[in-house]
Amino acid sequence: MNTSRWLCGLALASAFGCSDRPGAAGTASGDVGGTLIITQPGAEPTPLFPPFSDDEVSRMIVDQIYDRLATIPKSLNTLGDAGWEPRLAKSWAWSRDSLSIAFNLDPRARWHDGRPVRASDVVFSFALVKDPQTGTQLTPVVANIDSVTLRDSLTAVAWFHRRTPEQFYDFAYQVYILPEHVLKDVPRATLRTSDVIRRPVGTGRFRFVQWVPSQRIEIIADTGNFRGRAKLDRVLVSFATDPGVSITQLLTGQADFMSNVPIPLLPRVDSSPNLRILRYGGSGFSYLGLNLRDAKGGTAPHPIFSDRRVRRAIAMSLDRQGMLKNVFDTLGVLGLGPFARALMDTTVTQPKFDRAAAAALLDSAGWRMGPDSVRVKNGRRLTFAVLTPTSSSFRMRYAVLIQEQLKAVGIHVEIDPVDINNFVNRTMEHQFDAALFGTGSDPSRSSIKQNWGTEGIAKGGQNAIGYSNRAFDAMVDSATTTFDKRRSDALYHRAFQTLVDDAPAVFLYDIANLAGVHKRVRVQDLRAEAWWTTLPDWWIPAGERIERDRIGLRSAQQ
Amino acid sequence: MRRVVAVRLLHAVVVLFLVATAAFFLIHAAPGDPFSFENDRIPAEIRDAWRRRYGYDRPLVEQYGRYLVSVARGDFGYSHSLHVPVREAIAERLPRTVLLMGLSLVLSFGIAIRLGVYEVRHRRERRARVANGASLLMYSVPDFWLALVLLLTFAYWLPVLPAGQMVDTLHDYMTPGRAVWDRVRHLVLPLAALTLQLTAMLVRYQRSALLEVLPADYVRTARAKGTDERAVIGRHALRNALLPMITLAGVALPALVGGAVFVERVFSWPGMGLMAVNAIFLRDYPLVIASALVGAAVVVVGSLLADIAYALADPRVRVR
Repeated sequence: MNTSRWLCGLALASAFGCSDRPGAAGTASGDVGGTLIITQPGAEPTPLFPPFSDDEVSRMIVDQIYDRLATIPKSLNTLGDAGWEPRLAKSWAWSRDSLSIAFNLDPRARWHDGRPVRASDVVFSFALVKDPQTGTQLTPVVANIDSVTLRDSLTAVAWFHRRTPEQFYDFAYQVYILPEHVLKDVPRATLRTSDVIRRPVGTGRFRFVQWVPSQRIEIIADTGNFRGRAKLDRVLVSFATDPGVSITQLLTGQADFMSNVPIPLLPRVDSSPNLRILRYGGSGFSYLGLNLRDAKGGTAPHPIFSDRRVRRAIAMSLDRQGMLKNVFDTLGVLGLGPFARALMDTTVTQPKFDRAAAAALLDSAGWRMGPDSVRVKNGRRLTFAVLTPTSSSFRMRYAVLIQEQLKAVGIHVEIDPVDINNFVNRTMEHQFDAALFGTGSDPSRSSIKQNWGTEGIAKGGQNAIGYSNRAFDAMVDSATTTFDKRRSDALYHRAFQTLVDDAPAVFLYDIANLAGVHKRVRVQDLRAEAWWTTLPDWWIPAGERIERDRIGLRSAQQ
Repeated sequence: MRRVVAVRLLHAVVVLFLVATAAFFLIHAAPGDPFSFENDRIPAEIRDAWRRRYGYDRPLVEQYGRYLVSVARGDFGYSHSLHVPVREAIAERLPRTVLLMGLSLVLSFGIAIRLGVYEVRHRRERRARVANGASLLMYSVPDFWLALVLLLTFAYWLPVLPAGQMVDTLHDYMTPGRAVWDRVRHLVLPLAALTLQLTAMLVRYQRSALLEVLPADYVRTARAKGTDERAVIGRHALRNALLPMITLAGVALPALVGGAVFVERVFSWPGMGLMAVNAIFLRDYPLVIASALVGAAVVVVGSLLADIAYALADPRVRVR
């Protein structure tokens, strides 16, 4: 594959960042107008309602329509409120004991139907999220918030059970403010299937226009928004069944933006005179998880992976850098630990690729080479299956490479390809030997507790591989409760290092995020936690607009 | 005749019941459920709460019983992937698929009959052999592959037609004339993909049906009277050779329903086929079962209509 030219272009794009500042040549600062069409492969999005939104398209639209009280800083700081910027709240004040925070709403804020935003909306939003009847994944997230009360019409006070470093984040980031007057009469148990949430009314810089099922979602600039109107007039998300259709739409000018362009299709995007490629960080990463418990879902130790020496030997037998190059060419990002790089401590020491040392470790663990070049211990062959979702071509390719590389040290690997539903079911039930996981995370590092801590092993927990190390748990506990950022970072570093040394997983790669965008569209920062955060500030210079950019804010013909 | 139709309709009800039952148990036998998608931000207890709320935690037989009762009341359930009642989802998508299939059926028969006549008239000439070879080639090509080739050729290499979907993203902002043209342009590729394959199949049947009737006495008589070859085939032979084609119309429907699944997926055509595929992938149980029911109903009704048409067209067939 002749990739040098477009890789060079990509390197330049990366080197100069992926941001276009207003005021560049030929443009006027504050230019407004234009239509952006985003093409998105995949199935129908989840509801455009914050408590139920959990896929990329839905979260992107929800973030444009609704507001949180404050905006998380680019550094993704979740400790205290340092760097957080006002959004729906104009300001906030902590109580002396830090057990409550009073949020003063911006009096200019209006719902898209013209009604003013009131503190009672904040109270209502929290009550809705807190209520188990609502059935939202956010309910456990706000467990530390006791209640939200009304001080006056523009001030809501959040009361916490205990003082924690992330209490501000728990409320200001996790809870979107919803319109009480629109939702108050809908029973919470039936909210998920209610018509009301299909016509979202928010306070964001874009307002909802329409959702044509299986075809498109449309939002337009809220011209009277208290935070300033979005620079683009209109954003449409066009759904396609697969990346092939999406990329064709992008290449033929039917669409302007596509996130997550599949790597094999990048040369086509690069060769188009109207498009460019942007690279951005993300929160997704992939790893080979080794189930430390019985593969039938029981609680007995796994006959192979319960031995730390075997796990470390596996980690040392895998040429992670080589596999990365094989799968992603030069566009891969090596995984470092239980978070993507945007959130991860990059100084954690990784297991060294050393097959001789790995073989010695296996020997010392009693696994001796058998006659068929597969190691044996007490009559048991060193063989296991790697559960792999067929929906991920990258993970399927990794499975083959892992199989080949472990063969060199006498480990026989069977690839167990399954569809994604089966994959989720079996990993949740702990019914696997090893599995190739792909995951993402919130900005908060405290989620490591549920994913890797002992408390996440119980039925319903998210620690699918059953990793348990009391020292690790203690370090994470301390890291999540200390208010000193440096100390917290140091504790997290030790926890991450312990995890990597224990090798319950081999961290393979961060998911490479590459977007294709039409050159006339000026894109602001594509942020790691959500590339769409700055969408209201994207713009199209007046001199470069095409026919569809001139539609303006008028309504549809039909 | 009426009695026969009534009996056939009764058979149709039994068939639909069996299809619903098979679809229900097959989709429930597949791993996962509507809430087992990959998102580790959703704790298992929340997923379990959703299952309890919508009754997916109940024993399978109980779920089946409840489903039958609600279907009998005309309630096909709620689609968790489309966030609308199933009835609404089908009402929206069925006309799109019927449009695609109906146009394809009409075009395929129209082209196949003409092409069949052409091949028979020129059966000893090279051009007929080329046409025959072309239809054989088209018949042999897998439908999804043909759809992909059409997409690549006319939407990417020669970008003269849109890549997919039913209308342009900005369709709502077009003038009425342009909006109609936009719909036509989006229809071309999926329709071509469906029609080419069906035509290829039909033309072979039409050709052999014509060749079968050519040695018949009435054809020989027509020739003996001095009728030219064009009229012999077009007026005398073709009428009798069309009878098997009526039967084929019923047989073609299942093929079209199957083809629509692939074609809709390749061209992102938001019809029943695409909806059914997504529903299976997302384990949207009510939507999968309803899609199977609708597909079966289309085939059953199509076959019934073909039988009636055959009986009306051929006086030798007496339906009792």
